[in-house]
Parts: sequence; structure tokens; C-alpha cells
Amino acid sequence: MSNRVAIVGIGQTTHSGRRPYVNDGELIYDAVTKALADADLSINDMESVMLGNMDLFEGHSLNDAMLNLYSGAAGKPGFKMNTGGTVGSMMAIQGWYHIASGLYDLCLVIGWEKHDEGPATPAISTITDPAVDRPFLVGAIGGLATVSVAYMQRSGCKLEHAAMVRANASQAAARNPNAHMREIYSVEDVMKARMVMYPLNLLMCCPTSLGACALVLASESKAKKISKKPVWMKDHVTVHVEYGGAQFGIGEKRWTSHMEAGAKLFKRNNITKPMKETQVFEMYDPFAFAIPMWLEDFLICEPSEGWKLIEKGALKLEGEYPVSPSGGVLCTNSIGDSALLRVAEAALQIRGDAGEHQVTREVKQALASGFGGSFWSDLLLLSKTMD
Amino acid sequence: MKPKVQEELIYLDMTLKLPFKWRTGETMGEFFRELKENGILYANQCPTCGRAFCLPKTVCTRDHTRCTERSKWIPVGPKGTLVTFFMAEQSFLLPTTGEMLKIPFAVGIILLDGAMVTLQHQLEETDTEKIKPFMRVEAVIKPKEERKGNIYDIVHFKTINE
Repeated sequence: MSNRVAIVGIGQTTHSGRRPYVNDGELIYDAVTKALADADLSINDMESVMLGNMDLFEGHSLNDAMLNLYSGAAGKPGFKMNTGGTVGSMMAIQGWYHIASGLYDLCLVIGWEKHDEGPATPAISTITDPAVDRPFLVGAIGGLATVSVAYMQRSGCKLEHAAMVRANASQAAARNPNAHMREIYSVEDVMKARMVMYPLNLLMCCPTSLGACALVLASESKAKKISKKPVWMKDHVTVHVEYGGAQFGIGEKRWTSHMEAGAKLFKRNNITKPMKETQVFEMYDPFAFAIPMWLEDFLICEPSEGWKLIEKGALKLEGEYPVSPSGGVLCTNSIGDSALLRVAEAALQIRGDAGEHQVTREVKQALASGFGGSFWSDLLLLSKTMD
Repeated sequence: MKPKVQEELIYLDMTLKLPFKWRTGETMGEFFRELKENGILYANQCPTCGRAFCLPKTVCTRDHTRCTERSKWIPVGPKGTLVTFFMAEQSFLLPTTGEMLKIPFAVGIILLDGAMVTLQHQLEETDTEKIKPFMRVEAVIKPKEERKGNIYDIVHFKTINE
């Protein structure tokens, strides 16, 4: 059996749309020093250091070589990863692998992005097949707009429900000092926003942010010695999806990476009522239809029930099942750290350290997800106790 | 007192302009040859699961089986059903050409008659009120002398009434 892994240090920068007086490395250093301070450890204690972001966004390949002075990786095992939107959650999972292997006791993982430095949409467009898809699927928004139309069609969800999701997220982000977009919007405000790609208007898309997040992960023996409030990484699933149209369920049975991830994680952990057995979900929610649609896909609620939960107010910070109480990706999206922030924020909820945006229910177990690349999924289960 | 706004320090403008050549491979190459020479859209079939792919692919994602047996290719379309769509009302830089997207730009996910896997292409209609999921559409293929053996040999998909 593999070693157990705990999160013992959490650090993040504040997030914004622009920070012209900070370069990539200085941004990372800010998050790293905060995570080390939270763990009460020094960089010399770290046995491996890993860095993740989207290369093309800053026009800078293999940037870990230049950035190792800021990340603290020099002289240590470490690598750079880029898996698109999931890069942050993959960092947490790669850290888990290092420690679970028994070869390492302490590991530092970092995710970052500086969206103000390059054009994100053309960079994302380069993930698709240049011969047939690239002229038509414009960035991430094109693909997400098509799944939104399909979701409205099959579930009865309306544009107004997406606006409710964004309005809820704005109220949550207003309570999170590290979030990027902290303005409060009403449903009417969201409905009035400029259309970007039907059915997604400007407020229904995630912003382009910059920021960094870092976690210190520890083995069981180490965590028990050094940490008063370790958060256990109980399980995680990564699923890659088939490139193509199976997600629409037309011509063949509907099948998505989120569905596969939810089924595997819940079965393996004997979870039959996810909304009871986990108390909060920090979801990677890059567009406003994501929360209702993906609660269904992760098998957390029944098909076509997601938007009804929004209508009931069940997913708000003080609701029956809070989803993305930090404001989520909808309010802060510095891609390379977006999915790591989900893990960090879920861990803060378990520790009871989320401050103003701490949910009202007691959190014993939490979910965090990542989404990206060509529609692939990470789903993590965090726990207050080891078993 | 308002906090002093920090002035912008030095930044460098940088443009990456890198030329690439991308091989379409044996299966898409054959698909484009048929489209160019005969104006016919083909799907290929997986011998293991029987799914018909248009756009065709060399290997089935699920079975990892080669699907290149040419005698098993079947003509599909040019009519099909619109599954879903998006409509760009904001322009973006296109990485393939370095040009800005011409808006309005509607893209449909389309299931061609006879195929079991969807493809995406531009829609002629750009009024979101008139684009309905599950409406019938048809590929408009360029005249032979204008065809080059690429995805733009299909001009767009037009709405049809049937």
C-alpha cells in the first residue's frame, strides 16, 4: 500500500487582471514563501519541487529552467508540467505520487499563470487538430459554448440559471480577499453583459487573471510531527477523454471524462450520497453552466437536477451543498494555478481557515476538481481525518 | 489618502511568428483526396466496434484498432443534423493564420447522415434565433476547380427544410 499524503502548507498570491511591476518569478516566489511560512518550514526542507503552467501563454517554453531560483527547485528533483486547465490539480497529484511512493517526505508543488502577458485564446486554440478543428473551435470558449447549448437543450436549464450561478459566485468572491473579480453582480447585471460567444456572455466566462498558488505536501509520519492541521489527500482520479463528440450523446451514448471520474472516485470510496458524505466542492468552473452541468456529470446529483439546485439556492456559501465558495474559476482564472487553487481552497475549508468565505456547514470531507486540456478531468477527495 | 498607484516599469514587446508544416496523415489525406477529386465526404469504420467516423481517423480511440481498410469506407452526408453550436460575437486572433476572426461566426457540431461521430464546421446562418439544435443542415461543397483538398473545400453548412 502506498504512503498516505497530507497537505501541510498552503500559499497563494492575491489575484488580479494586471500586475505590471511583477515578473513571472517574483509572482511564484510570493506564493512559495507563503506556503512555506504556513507549513513553518524552509525551502531546504523540500525534497522535490514541481512547477506547472501553460507554456504558450507567456510565450516561454520550459520556463522552470529560468524560474528555479524563485521556485526553489535548483539542485532538487523537479519537473515542469503543462496539462492545460488541469495543470494545477495535476501538480497536487504529482506531489502525491512523489510522497506516496515512499521516496520523499516533503514536496513543494506550484501552479502559476500571468495571463496579462500573452493572448490566451489563440494559445488554447493550438491544442486542437490544425487540419480540421482549429479553424472552427475558437479557444476554450468555443468548445464550452457548444456544451452549454447542448446542456440547455437536454436539461431545460435556461440562460437565467447561468446568470444566477455567476451572481452567486460574485457574492462568494466578494468575501475572498485573494479573488480577482470581487464586484457583486445581480442576475440582471449578468444578463445584460455583452455577448462573447452565444450562449456565453462576458460575465458567464471566466476572467483572465494572474497569480500563483503553492502547496507543501508531507508523508504521514512527517505530517503528524510537523502539522497541527494536516488535510489528508484521501484519493484522486484522473480521466482523459475521447477527442470528439461523445460528450453530446448524439449518435452514440453520452460519455464524458467527468462522468468516468465521479463514478470511479465514489465507488472506490464507498460514497453513495456525495452531497452528504462530502460537505463542500471546490469545482473547476470556467463558465457559468459548468456548476449545474458538471454536478450532474460527476454523478453528485441526478441528470437535469443541477439547475434546480441553483434555483433553490442550495449551492451558495451558506447553502445545503456549497460549490466553489471561493468564487471559483468564474471569478479568478490564472490557468496554471486555477486547479491548484481548488485543492488549496478545499483544504482551507477543511482546516476551517477560509476566513470570510468559510462555509457554514462543518467540513469533514471536500471535493476539488480540475478540468481542461481536451476535455479531461481530475477529481480529488480531501479529508480531515486519515480514514 | 489613496494609495499611490505604482508606475509601470519596463516591458518588452514580443511577437512569435513561427512557420509550421503539419502532415494530415494517411487517413485524412485520403479523405481530403476524395473531397478534392470527387466532392464526396467519407466515413471510415472501426472493425472492432463498428462506429463510423467522419471525419475519419486511422485508429479507433476506444479499441486502439487500425481502421484503414479502404473497402470499408462509406460515403456520408452531405446532409446531416445540427447537434449544438456556438456563435462568436467577439473577434479573436487565429493562431493558424495570425489574422482576426471575421464575426459573426457560427460553428455547428454536426452529425452527418450515416456517420456516428460528429464534426464541427461553420454555419451559414448567424442569427441565433434561427439556429436550432436538431435542425437539418447540408454541406455546401466548392466547385471542383476551386477545391484544394482541405477542410475549406466545404464552404459551410446551410440550413435545409425537411
